[in-house]
Amino acid sequence: MSNEVYIIGTGQTRFGEFFDLNIGDLASEAVSKAIENAGIGKNEIGTLFIGSTVSNSLSQSSIGGICTRSCSLSSNAYRIESGNASGAAAFHHAFLSIKSGLYDVVAVLGIDKLSDYVQNGTIEKILASSIDYQWEYEMGATLTGLYSFLTQAHMEKYGTTLEQLAYIPTKNHQNGVLNPKAQYRYSIPIEKFLNAKRIADPIGRFDIATPCDGAAAIILASERYIENKKPHSYKVKILSSAVGSDTLALQHREKLTELKATKIAANDAYHKAKLTASDINVAEVHDSHPIGEILAIEDLGLVLKGEGGKTSVEGLTALNGKITVNPSGGLKARGDPFGATGIAQLIEIVEQIRGNAGKRQVNDVQYGLTQNVMGTGVMSYVSILGRGEN
Amino acid sequence: MEPPKIWRERKERYLGIGIMCEDCKKKNFPKTRICPDCGSENVKPYKIAERGTLKYFTQIMNTGDELVFNTPYVVGLVELEDGIKVTAQIVDCNFKELKKGMKLEQTFRVIARNGKEGLIKYGFKFRPI
Amino acid sequence: MSEKIGIVAYGVYIPRNRITVDEIASVWGEDANEIKTQLQVFEKSVPFPDEDVATMAVEAARNAIKQWRGESEKIGAIYVGSESHPYAVKPTATIVAAAIGAEGQTTAADLEFACKAGTAGMQMCFGLMQSNMIKVGLAIGSDSSQAKPKDPLEYTAGAGSAAFLIGKQNVIAELEGMYSYTSDTPDFWRREGATFPSHGQRFTGMPAYFDHIIKATKGLLKKIDRKPEDYDYVTFHQPNTKFPLRVAKMLGFSKEQVEKSLACKYIGNTYSASSMIGFAKILDEAQPGDRVLVTSYGSGAGSDSFSFKITENIEKIRDGTKTVQQYIKNKRNISYGLYSRYKGILKV
Repeated sequence: MSNEVYIIGTGQTRFGEFFDLNIGDLASEAVSKAIENAGIGKNEIGTLFIGSTVSNSLSQSSIGGICTRSCSLSSNAYRIESGNASGAAAFHHAFLSIKSGLYDVVAVLGIDKLSDYVQNGTIEKILASSIDYQWEYEMGATLTGLYSFLTQAHMEKYGTTLEQLAYIPTKNHQNGVLNPKAQYRYSIPIEKFLNAKRIADPIGRFDIATPCDGAAAIILASERYIENKKPHSYKVKILSSAVGSDTLALQHREKLTELKATKIAANDAYHKAKLTASDINVAEVHDSHPIGEILAIEDLGLVLKGEGGKTSVEGLTALNGKITVNPSGGLKARGDPFGATGIAQLIEIVEQIRGNAGKRQVNDVQYGLTQNVMGTGVMSYVSILGRGEN
Repeated sequence: MEPPKIWRERKERYLGIGIMCEDCKKKNFPKTRICPDCGSENVKPYKIAERGTLKYFTQIMNTGDELVFNTPYVVGLVELEDGIKVTAQIVDCNFKELKKGMKLEQTFRVIARNGKEGLIKYGFKFRPI
Repeated sequence: MSEKIGIVAYGVYIPRNRITVDEIASVWGEDANEIKTQLQVFEKSVPFPDEDVATMAVEAARNAIKQWRGESEKIGAIYVGSESHPYAVKPTATIVAAAIGAEGQTTAADLEFACKAGTAGMQMCFGLMQSNMIKVGLAIGSDSSQAKPKDPLEYTAGAGSAAFLIGKQNVIAELEGMYSYTSDTPDFWRREGATFPSHGQRFTGMPAYFDHIIKATKGLLKKIDRKPEDYDYVTFHQPNTKFPLRVAKMLGFSKEQVEKSLACKYIGNTYSASSMIGFAKILDEAQPGDRVLVTSYGSGAGSDSFSFKITENIEKIRDGTKTVQQYIKNKRNISYGLYSRYKGILKV
C-alpha cells in the first residue's frame, strides 16, 4: 500500500486585528474547527505541529504548551520555525511525519499575533529575522526595502510597469470581497495603489500585505487511517510537498530577477506529483509585496519568465481566468499573520478542490498549488494538492 | 547591541575584512570559516574594495529603534570594484541626487545607537564620490 | 635630537552641512548683520545624525594615512582630543585604532582640554618620538560640540576634525620648538552630565584667550630666539575671525601672515580641531623653507605654541590630498529645524 497523505479537516479564524484575543483563543478556534471538520476525536491527534514566527520569541517561550491547553489536547506539540514561512514549514514536517509511517493523524496549526506590536519599528525587526539580520537589517535594510530591490531589478530587466504591479493588489482585493475569512473585504481601485506615497520606492504605501492576527489549522491523515475508518468524502490528497532554498542575503544571489528557491521547490513538487505547470489551474502564492506574485507565477512555471506583469493585467490570473491566482485574496486582502498564512493558503486550495469555495469557486479544479516564501526567498515551500478518490 | 557581538564584528564593519580563498581564489564578504563557494579551509583575510557603483537603492522611513535615529535614510545594494556586493546605507547626499550607476566610496559612520546608555555601533556606509 | 621630528602627514574632515548666522538669528529675532560684523563668521558646519567625534576622527585619520602612504601597524600612539567624545567612559582613540587597522602594540588615550586637546595630543606624540619610544604617532582633534540655543556661542559652535601623523621619516614640517602656558582660568566649562557648556561672556577675552596665546607665543619666540617677521604664516585658535586677527596684531604679526589659515568664517569654531585645521590649511599651500607658527588655545585654560619649518617633502604628498578648502566648498545649507534635528536637540 502506498503511503499517501491526506488533508481531512480545515479550520481557521478570520484574519485581522483582535486586541481582545490572545494566542490561545486563536489557536483554540482554529484547531477545534479543524477537528470538527475532520470528524475525528481530539484524542486521535498524534502530534500538533505549530508554525509560528514570533509568538515564541517575543512573548512566550513555549507556545506548544499554550496551544495544547487552550485546545484541550493531550498530544505533544512542536514549533517549527522558518521565519514568515513557518506555516508551510510546519505543514512540510507534518507531511513528512505521516509519509514516514510514524504517525497516522496529526494537526498543523499556523498562528501568529502581530497586532500587539504597536510600537514603531517592531514589525520591521521581527521580519528582519527572515532576512540577513547582521548584513542586511543591521546595515539599514528592511524586508520591504529589499523587496524594492527585487522590484527594481525586475522592472529594469523585463520592463515590468507600476501599473502591472498595482494590478496585483487590486485583483486580490476584489477576490477578498468574496472570502468571509479575509481581513479586508472591500475592493480598492487601482488608482489608490498607484497614487499612494512610495514607502520604499517603487513600492507604494498600500501595496504591502498587513501583518495581523490569525490562526489556521488542518488535520492530516494517513491512507492507512482513512482505510480503517468510514470513507472520508472530503479528503484531499497531498500530491507533493517540496522545499527550495537560496542564499540568505540578496547580495550573495546570482540573480535578483527570480527566486531560485521557488524554482527548485516547484520543479521538485511537479516531479514528485508527476505533473507539470500546465496541470495547475488554481494557486495560492506569496503576494506580501506585488512583485512577490509576479515572481511566483514566473518561477512556478505558470507563465514565461519576464511575462508575469503583462499576463496578469491581461487577466490570465483573475478569478476563473486561465490560472486563478490567489482566489482567497492572497496575503494582501486576507491579511498576513505570518505563520498562519502558509496554512491558510493550503486551506483555500483544499476548499477549492472540495467545491466549498462559494462565490470564489474556481471551475474544474483538479490540482491546486501553494507557494509560501521566507524573507526574500532564502526558503520557498511549494505544495500540490489533488482530489482524493471518494 | 551586545558587547561581544560588536567587538567580534568590528573588523568586518569598520574595515570590510572578508575572506579570499587560496584554492578557488573567490572573494567573499562577510567572512566565513570555510570558503562558501568551494568549501576549502584555506581562506585568508581580504579587505573589500573601498569604491563601487550603486545598483539599487530605496529610502527607509521605519525600522528598529536602534537604527531609526538616522531615518529617513537611503539603503542600497552596492557592487564594489572587486565584484563583491554589499548592502549598506548611502549617505552625504540628497535622495533626489541619487542615480543608479553612481560611483560611491566608503565612509565611516554611526550605524546604530542602543538608546542613551547602551553601546554605539560603527561601520561602513557609502557616499557619492 | 639627531633626526628631525615633525609632521609626516595630515588630514582633515569637515561635515557637509552648514547653517548660516542669518538662519539662526531669524529664529531668535536677532540682528544677523550685527552678529556677522562682530564675529566675522557667516556659517558653521553641522554633522549628520550618524556622524560624531569618532567618525570624524576616523575620516581625518584615514585622510592622513592615505597621504602618508605608510602602514598603520607602525603607529605606536593614538590620541584623540575632544570636548564632545561619544562616551564619557570608553575611549574614542580605540575606535579610531580599530578603524584604521592600528590595534595591537599601540598606546592610546582620549584627551580633554577644551579647544586645545588636539594640540596636547601632538605634544605627547612629539615627546614619545623624541624619546624614541614610538616610530610614528597620531594626534587628532575632533569636536561636535553642543551650543545652548539662543546663546551667542550657537552662531559659532561648528564641527570638524584634523589628524596629524608625527614621526622622523620624510617629515614635511620639522618641529623647531614648542612652548605651553597653563593656568586655572574658568572661562568656559561644562559639568559632568550637563548637555550644554557655560561661559564667562567677556571674561573669555583678555584674561583667557588673549593672555594665554600671547604668553605661549612670546614664550616660544624667546625660547627659540625668533621674531614674528621670521614667519611666513601664523595660525591661532579660531573661536571666531575677530580674535585671531586681533591677537596676531597684538603679537606683532601682520594680517597677511594670519589670513591664509582662517577657516572659521565658513565652518565656525571647530573646537579641538580649530587650530589644527588652521595649520592644515596652511600646509595645503606652504612651500619648502616656509616657517609656520601655531598657537592653540583651550579654555580652562592653556595654550600650546609650536614653530615649524616646511621641508621639500611637502611637495611629494600634495597629490590627492583632500584640502581644507575642498571641504569648505563641499557644502549644503540647512534650516534651523534640520539643524536641531541633526544635533539631537529635538528629542524623538
